[in-house]
Amino acid sequence: MLQRTSCVDTINIKIVSFSSTVQIGDSCIINGLSRALAVQRESEVFYGNEGDLSSYQVYSEPIPFLPINESFTYSRQNPNPLIKVGRIDITGISSASLLHVGSSNHVSMEARIKHIRQLYPSPRNGENEGEQGQR
Amino acid sequence: MNFVVYNRELFVQNIKITGVASSSLVMVGDTETIQLASTFDTPAESLIIGPFVPLSPE
Repeated sequence: MLQRTSCVDTINIKIVSFSSTVQIGDSCIINGLSRALAVQRESEVFYGNEGDLSSYQVYSEPIPFLPINESFTYSRQNPNPLIKVGRIDITGISSASLLHVGSSNHVSMEARIKHIRQLYPSPRNGENEGEQGQR
Repeated sequence: MNFVVYNRELFVQNIKITGVASSSLVMVGDTETIQLASTFDTPAESLIIGPFVPLSPE
């Protein structure tokens, strides 16, 4: 069976960051994994050595996939074996993401994010500016 | 189930995307299998109200 060819005239990307990939051309197997620990604090306190991912279950628990039980036959024909795109504009590609121009066989991507917020106990409203240092 | 696909002309003029993030995928092409998984954990106990305690170090 003839493979299809992908043709993109122009690609314009501003930022590719955090293990992201721009793949131009065919590939066989792609495995992507992103683990993020997102910490928001009410004030700018960051200790620099934090981030032991093994203490959070979200990074190790299995993500179950439903098995496909239905019997399934699939055939495809490509009377016009060309995928044409005029222009791709992307502002940002981040966190083990992928822009792929071309064909592949097996693609498997995974993202695990833990989001933690730390706030001061007292509400901020109704207090004057002078008390900020005590919090 | 019998699934038959005929790929005739496919021409996209413009693709405009603001962000592709967290193990996402933009693909111009064919693939046999795609498997995408994502977990996002922000439980009640992840909202910590009190003095800032450092998270467990690396």
